[in-house]
Amino acid sequence: MDEFIRVENLTKIYERGEVLALDDISFTVKRGEFLVLLGLSGSGKSTLLRCINRLIEPTAGTITFDGEDVTKASSRQLRHLRRRMAMIFQQFNLVRRSSVLTNTISGRLGYMNPAASAIHKFTKQDIDDAIACLERVGIPEQAYKRADELSGGQQQRVGIARALMQKPDLLMADEPVSALDPATSHSIMQYLELMNQEDGVTVLTSLHFLSLARRYGTRILALKDGKIVFEGTPAEIDAAKFKEIYGEEAQEVEVR
Amino acid sequence: MEQNYHAGFISSRPNWRKGFRAYGKDLTVLAADIFVLLALWGLCSFIWNHFALGTRDFLSLPWWIVVVVCVELACIWSSFGTSPGLRLLRRRLINEEGKRGLLLRRFLRVATLHLQPFLALEVLVTAKYTPRHDRITGFRVLSEMELQEARGPWYRSSSSLSIVLLGLAMFLVSALFTQVDLVKLFTNAGATAEIWDRIFHPDWSILGLGVRLLIVTLYMAFMATLFGVLLAVPLSFLAARNLARGVVGRSIYTVLRVILSIIRSIEPIIWAIIFVVWVRTGAAAFAGMLALLVHSIADLTKLYSERLESIDPGPVEAIRATGAGRLQVILYGIVPQIVNPYLSFTIYRWDINVRMATIIGLVGGGGIGQRLIQLTRNWVWDQAIVLMLLIMVAVWVMDYSSSRLRERLN
Amino acid sequence: MKSARRHSPWVRLAELRPRIFAFLLDWASWGYIAYAIMYLLNKYWYVRHVNFYGRLTLPSWGWPLVILVTLELALLTHAFGQTIGLSLFGLRLLGPDLRRIPMRQRLHRYLGLHVKLLLQPIALFIDRPLGTLLHDGKQTGTMRLFAKVKDDMPLERPRNWWLTYRGLFTTALLGMTFWLGWKITAVNLGMLVERIGKSGHIWRDLFTPQFTYLTANVIDGRTFSIAHYMMETIFMAFFATITGAIVAFPLSFLGARNIMGFSAVGWLIYTVMRFVFNIFRSIESILMAVMFAVWVGFGNPFAGALALFLHTIAALGKLYSEQVESVDPGPLEAIAATGAKRWQVVAYGVIPQIIPSYLAFTLYRWDINIRMATVIALVGGGGIGTLLFYFKNEVGRLENAWNLVGSVIVAIVVVVWLLDYISARVREKIG
Repeated sequence: MDEFIRVENLTKIYERGEVLALDDISFTVKRGEFLVLLGLSGSGKSTLLRCINRLIEPTAGTITFDGEDVTKASSRQLRHLRRRMAMIFQQFNLVRRSSVLTNTISGRLGYMNPAASAIHKFTKQDIDDAIACLERVGIPEQAYKRADELSGGQQQRVGIARALMQKPDLLMADEPVSALDPATSHSIMQYLELMNQEDGVTVLTSLHFLSLARRYGTRILALKDGKIVFEGTPAEIDAAKFKEIYGEEAQEVEVR
Repeated sequence: MEQNYHAGFISSRPNWRKGFRAYGKDLTVLAADIFVLLALWGLCSFIWNHFALGTRDFLSLPWWIVVVVCVELACIWSSFGTSPGLRLLRRRLINEEGKRGLLLRRFLRVATLHLQPFLALEVLVTAKYTPRHDRITGFRVLSEMELQEARGPWYRSSSSLSIVLLGLAMFLVSALFTQVDLVKLFTNAGATAEIWDRIFHPDWSILGLGVRLLIVTLYMAFMATLFGVLLAVPLSFLAARNLARGVVGRSIYTVLRVILSIIRSIEPIIWAIIFVVWVRTGAAAFAGMLALLVHSIADLTKLYSERLESIDPGPVEAIRATGAGRLQVILYGIVPQIVNPYLSFTIYRWDINVRMATIIGLVGGGGIGQRLIQLTRNWVWDQAIVLMLLIMVAVWVMDYSSSRLRERLN
Repeated sequence: MKSARRHSPWVRLAELRPRIFAFLLDWASWGYIAYAIMYLLNKYWYVRHVNFYGRLTLPSWGWPLVILVTLELALLTHAFGQTIGLSLFGLRLLGPDLRRIPMRQRLHRYLGLHVKLLLQPIALFIDRPLGTLLHDGKQTGTMRLFAKVKDDMPLERPRNWWLTYRGLFTTALLGMTFWLGWKITAVNLGMLVERIGKSGHIWRDLFTPQFTYLTANVIDGRTFSIAHYMMETIFMAFFATITGAIVAFPLSFLGARNIMGFSAVGWLIYTVMRFVFNIFRSIESILMAVMFAVWVGFGNPFAGALALFLHTIAALGKLYSEQVESVDPGPLEAIAATGAKRWQVVAYGVIPQIIPSYLAFTLYRWDINIRMATVIALVGGGGIGTLLFYFKNEVGRLENAWNLVGSVIVAIVVVVWLLDYISARVREKIG
């Protein structure tokens, strides 16, 4: 297991609100890790994730992904890098009017011929792969339904299927289970765990609940006001560290 | 420094504009008050002049007196109560607690408000705005939300009363200006008795010609809508604020928006006047189509681009994150969200174009309107009513089917 | 399928309504294609000259042939494919197990229809499942409402819209209409370009407006300036909008189904009201202004105001009553439960919910009325159009006529744009 992602002195300032979202953050991620980001809302978790694939431009700092510099990549290099990084979102971010199958296949857009993809002409291989991914997440029978006809948990599974289509080396999840109930949350996190253990995908996810982080994560990174306040294994978080991360009035909530 | 948010939305303004905005707000309050007072004065003096002197005059006094009085009254109003300008920008004037001599301080504020124009220089130079009139007199202007006071009944606030008064005065003046004369309406009906008689005995011989003219009219509307859509769809992507990147993109956006607004303000009938002169005589339908086309492009682009600006950025972000190229992001992330609304707007525009096409003949734009105006000018009302009925039926059918289609699209 | 019970013929007819309409629509679309073909035939192959408006000439056996052929085609497509009419009315041809029917059985269906065609009205009177006709059956399938059976249907890969029958048909229709439209409106861009020389001076003059008559009188003794007419236009539109909104407010309740639909008299009033709204909405204000100009005097802004007034009542009445119909019934229930009378429920339950949209619609209407008011002078309605058309008519006589027209257009643009902006901002704040 070698160093896969290196973040150095990452800073992000939103000038409009004069908000310091990320303050000189540095850390590394090893290949195959399941890294969980913890922290209150507004502590910079989403911003950090989006800086790694440059959906948000960092104000300062460097990010190295598998030896390549993300922050300085040209737009073409960036697209090639993004192909290897998959992302799933809190609000699922599916195209609601399109079918589940189209949503899944769109994970492969970075690899498809632009002209063919423009007219929705997918190769049989791609379609079979998409159905296989949907089978892996357990919803192959929904393939032709409109995406907004599915429940929340099913939609997030489509998001995971879309990520699977990319055959990524890195999976980033921006609060993937915050909009779901506890039982569904576990099933989603189990899919992420499966990807991490069976496919060897490095997972970088932000979560709200410490119990989920303890259950699934191999390493935890906690942010507060844009700074790292804790970096270590889940076992190392005790009551004192917990209050440090979440503030004095915080109490732990169990998600069974 | 260019800041990129998700999905490429443009952000950030340079810092020095903050001073301008603060100054602009104070100025807007004053300007709004002065405007309301001037309008009230103008309307009331018009009413007075109309009834007392029988003349049409908006200012009973020399204009400079009126302006000075209004400016002074505006300063006094905003210092002593909640003027319309303050209410418009949702601000209130509060004083530091415990300070006495309140009345004197308010007058002092009125006096120092006169410094406002000179503060503009200061803002330009230092990019910071200090509301001197408030600082010196110990007042602060807070937004309504910070104050959280209970609003009294509306008839107790001077700003609401003044707005109501303004509305009533405007209504009265509009009735006078429009020369509303109900007496004339009911006594003059005799002059039109002949017309009514002809209208109730329609001459159906013109029906065949009318139907053919109606067909031309409908095709005119169709072609205008079709070409309008073809041109408006690409333009809408250029005219959407959230898709415009870089200096080039932003300037294209601004220029396009301005030009399209101007074109949209000119009704198709006026465009038809221009085009009728431009094309050869006999190509009236073509001229009418062009007039509708020009207006359709402007209107459709506005509707389309407004819809583009309110798309859900989430899916767009997700597609970007998979490494797709820009065209793919548009086709997979943006287009599925906008197809139905675009179709709905197109049908809406088609409906309007049919209505416009029926009347664009009045200026020589071909179709059924041209024949109709000829008939009314020659007082052949029995045939004119047949054409009007045809128009009515056609518009009705179009309206009904278009509203049903748009229902289904949602 | 619904079990066959005793239903009255009217109920059966109502169930069959979507099918009948879908069929009529498809028949009409084939008729339209036939019309287009005949028009083009007339234009290109017949020796006899066709006048500009497409008078069709056919031999005496032509018309019955057309009707028969189109009918057959409509029946054919109904049996063999998913037509536009069927899609619009949400129908699908499905077998008893909700799958598609194989070709042979479709052929049986098509032939069976011809055999049973004249016997169809009996289907209204005999015991059959609701919504079926004589040629429906287990083998030949039935037309079903797609929305009702969607969830029970087995999933299938949806085909590309461009390759389905209705996709191709729609494209063909559009293409044909485009071709016909091109011919009928005589599109000729070349003519535009070559006439730029002759009419270029118009554009040049329009872009160099002369504001001589901004406040000065054109004909002394009579106020004839741009400023005066602009104010007349604005006030005319304002007056028409406000009075129209005031009158439309109570009328909208008379035109709302959920308030009127409780008695026979109520239904009658509702129907009449809606009908009246539709009539006056279908006639543009400018056409009504023709009449009013004769009534109260040509060039009198009162004529324009009256025309706008009537049209506004109808347009706002329809918009308002749609709002009333889509009001949230919860608060109404609550208020009625306290023992309030009908009008109190309306006053305290309905009205507070609809005020924001009423205001928004009124502003929207004011915007439209201003635009109409700028041109209503064409037929004698008063307003800034008077000056516009006056200057336009002076084109031969006056040297700078088009410059003056340009100045009027600039004034119109400024005012319309400004008011449009203001109304958009206020509407944002409201809703």
